[in-house]
Amino acid sequence: MLVEAFVLPKADLGSFVAKLKAGYEVIGPVAKDPEFVFAPIDSAADLRLDYDTTILPPHKKYLVPPKETLMTFSGPATKTGEPAAPGKQLLFGVHACDVNGMLSLDKVFLGTYPDPYYKARRENTVIVGLNCIEPCADGFCSSFNTGPGMDSGFDLSLTDIGDKYVVCVGSEAGKALAAGLAPAADADRIAKGKALRASQEKIERHIDTDNLGEFMHQNVDNPVWEDLKERCLACGSCTNVCPTCFCFAVKDQIDLTLAAGERPRDWDSCQYLEFSRVAMDHIFRPDRAARIKQRLYHKMTYFAQQFDGSPGCVGCGRCATYCIAAIDPVEVMEDLRDDPGEEKAVKLYTPPDKKVTPETSPWEPQLAKISAIKQQNYDNKTYTFSFADPAVQEKYTYDSGAFNEISIFGIGEVPISISSCADVKGSFDHTIRAVGNVTNAMDKLQVGDIVGVRGPYGVGWPVEKMKGKNVLVVVGGVGLAPLLGTIKYIANHRDQFGALEILYGGRSPKDMLFTDEFDDLRKIPNTRLLLCVDNCMGMEWGHNIGVVTTLFDKMSSKPDNTIMITCGPDVMMRFAVKDMLGRGWSPEQIYVSLERRMSCGIKKCGNCQIGPLFVCQDGPVFKLADIQGLPEAAL
Amino acid sequence: MANPKVAFFKFSSCAGCLLNVLNIEPVLLTVLSVIDIEYFVMAKRDNHHGPYTIGFVEGAVTTPKEVLELKKIREECAILVAMGACACTGGVPSIKNFSGMNQDQLTKTVYAENIYDPFLASIPAKGIDFYVKVDAYLRGCSYDLGEFVELIKRALKGEDPLFRPHSVCNECKLKENVCLLVSKGQPCMGSVSAAGCGALCPSLNRQCEGCRGPANDCNAASLAKTFMEDLGLSKDDVVRKFRKYAGNTPEFSKGAEAAL
Repeated sequence: MLVEAFVLPKADLGSFVAKLKAGYEVIGPVAKDPEFVFAPIDSAADLRLDYDTTILPPHKKYLVPPKETLMTFSGPATKTGEPAAPGKQLLFGVHACDVNGMLSLDKVFLGTYPDPYYKARRENTVIVGLNCIEPCADGFCSSFNTGPGMDSGFDLSLTDIGDKYVVCVGSEAGKALAAGLAPAADADRIAKGKALRASQEKIERHIDTDNLGEFMHQNVDNPVWEDLKERCLACGSCTNVCPTCFCFAVKDQIDLTLAAGERPRDWDSCQYLEFSRVAMDHIFRPDRAARIKQRLYHKMTYFAQQFDGSPGCVGCGRCATYCIAAIDPVEVMEDLRDDPGEEKAVKLYTPPDKKVTPETSPWEPQLAKISAIKQQNYDNKTYTFSFADPAVQEKYTYDSGAFNEISIFGIGEVPISISSCADVKGSFDHTIRAVGNVTNAMDKLQVGDIVGVRGPYGVGWPVEKMKGKNVLVVVGGVGLAPLLGTIKYIANHRDQFGALEILYGGRSPKDMLFTDEFDDLRKIPNTRLLLCVDNCMGMEWGHNIGVVTTLFDKMSSKPDNTIMITCGPDVMMRFAVKDMLGRGWSPEQIYVSLERRMSCGIKKCGNCQIGPLFVCQDGPVFKLADIQGLPEAAL
Repeated sequence: MANPKVAFFKFSSCAGCLLNVLNIEPVLLTVLSVIDIEYFVMAKRDNHHGPYTIGFVEGAVTTPKEVLELKKIREECAILVAMGACACTGGVPSIKNFSGMNQDQLTKTVYAENIYDPFLASIPAKGIDFYVKVDAYLRGCSYDLGEFVELIKRALKGEDPLFRPHSVCNECKLKENVCLLVSKGQPCMGSVSAAGCGALCPSLNRQCEGCRGPANDCNAASLAKTFMEDLGLSKDDVVRKFRKYAGNTPEFSKGAEAAL
């Protein structure tokens, strides 16, 4: 169907912009010698509509500002939810790549757990796009159909056809802004089409998108990545200037009262070593080559896998423009295509289809009071919590294996799995090891103290699928915490499950959790509990010595009609899974719980990604068959 | 509860970092209400011996006497903070380590023979963590005052300040500065240097000199190559850049070595 279109003579641009300024703060491209940036303008005279590209993508700069406060607090009293009402803003002259970049960011911020801050800004932002009749030097937008012209995402779009612009209407709001303009004649529309086709033909840079996802997955081990590692400075500029990069870091700030402060988010980058850092300085992606790969894979395929096929790269070319080491995705992709890895069957990832829209801000922790603390071993305690608001507690349900984000205001949040059984009403447990700033502060808390809790998040153990089947639990160290609730659920509903066998390994007897509950576990009908430690450290130990896989020869579980659930350190699960597959178990019957830096829990901050997975929402419990063979999954 | 006791010490350096402490005027009185400064020779007459809760040390260690003093300070301070580039990485004094001269030659070159004194006995300039365990670092020449106050707050709460040592480029891009290297061809060190300064120099149109030392997992060798091949810097210039503030660090050493 024909899009409604008008014409704006260039001579009238000044008055048109003046009219827009009456209703909006107008933000447009201005010079910042020798580059361009989007900034508020006083009049059309400030505009540089001949700009090639801007340092930061305008939609990202004005919809997800580099720093934004998520909540404020004073002691345990918090204030969240309502973002300061952003004024009505109008981005004037946004190129097609960035309009499409914004549509991709919409998927991230308006998908599951919609971000209230982004949403408020987005709803108060009008986009006047500018189609590119002269391609920029580094762009390759036509490869992803994200330029030089735009099809959607704008309220109005302008196309320069000489002495005037063709103004296309993309929304009701846009139509209102076009009131008073003369309708476009056929000749104007034809001139627009001709200008954009000519522009498209002038684009010399292309990425071959044929079978892109499969192709990328076949080239995980291509030597190209090691070469890039030698060049990449790990400076993170590529991610900062990217119109679809959305990752951010959250760290509480406090004033000198040490009690009041705020929780801001700042743009983060997967190129930084500490991006995947968790307590005890464990870093999940320490290798620079792996980090470069993560970014380019995310652009070329993971983003599309995660967000309904939306492009993770819109071909704006900024990452190439601003890379000091001149790493250019077009060249990288050419190098890969020139010397591709072996073609092999590839399975792309499809995340679980779910959209959660909570009534309150997903950033708002609910206050919860500690009602009991139990020392588990030398560095672990189990805390029992109840929400301060009984109505919140009443409504609170969770799947075993899911986690909460626990807040200590002034320090931050940590994702901790729930260790109580979902049958328990009125309270819930977390078993926590004191290893980082938040957990060390937890360690000092007493019964009656208040913390913040957001959750529950994530996919738990497949309890429904386990019904009618035997269950094998393979667990290492503190991995018992996210499994204990499920074990207790099986005990409470014993007739619904077959045989239960628990293989539990720890580093040493003093590292094991819930030791005083072992006798209760043994008393569960039709249940075996096998224990082992890597080293008994001279302590009395009447059980096996060795890693947990050494218990496999002693177990009675057989692959038939059994589901294996496992949680422990990555390395333990890797060996356990490999061993079990060797014993004839199928990836369809093995479930693993993965751990990454699940900083936000709601698929926003990006810290917990493993290849195309968001551990926080797609997991943390995954069926092995769903993730086997994926890059980075390591299982 | 008594306020934590704080001390400020100085070794071989320009004293700018100690002076900088007094530049926190907007919050100075508030800070002084939560800590007691027990030892600060530059700022007060009445100084007291340890033990102290937090000890801030400015300066590189360049004499055997300083090593002994530093070890004593370590014993007296629950939390020891390296304050500024010299204490963190050796800083500007560490340039001498790469002069190619031995200590005797250096002494004779720098000091006239008739004023030589055993007091001048000097050793290679090192950051203080070469000799003692350091609990936190305030990087930069001089350090960022915001980080100084943040460190005090976190220390009072018994937390790790978790300063994020990623590149200056991050803070520079967030300010949407024109890239001095890419757009203006200047040999800016921001891409390999640790942020926290708010990209202070590039924001004022001055290239980053790397005073805060290396960013996490930075790739100095690659930047050295860019300096030489794309910007036409001489080997000597590149080596000097990487040995100006943090030549002692393995990361920046790689930058200098890539040029040699």
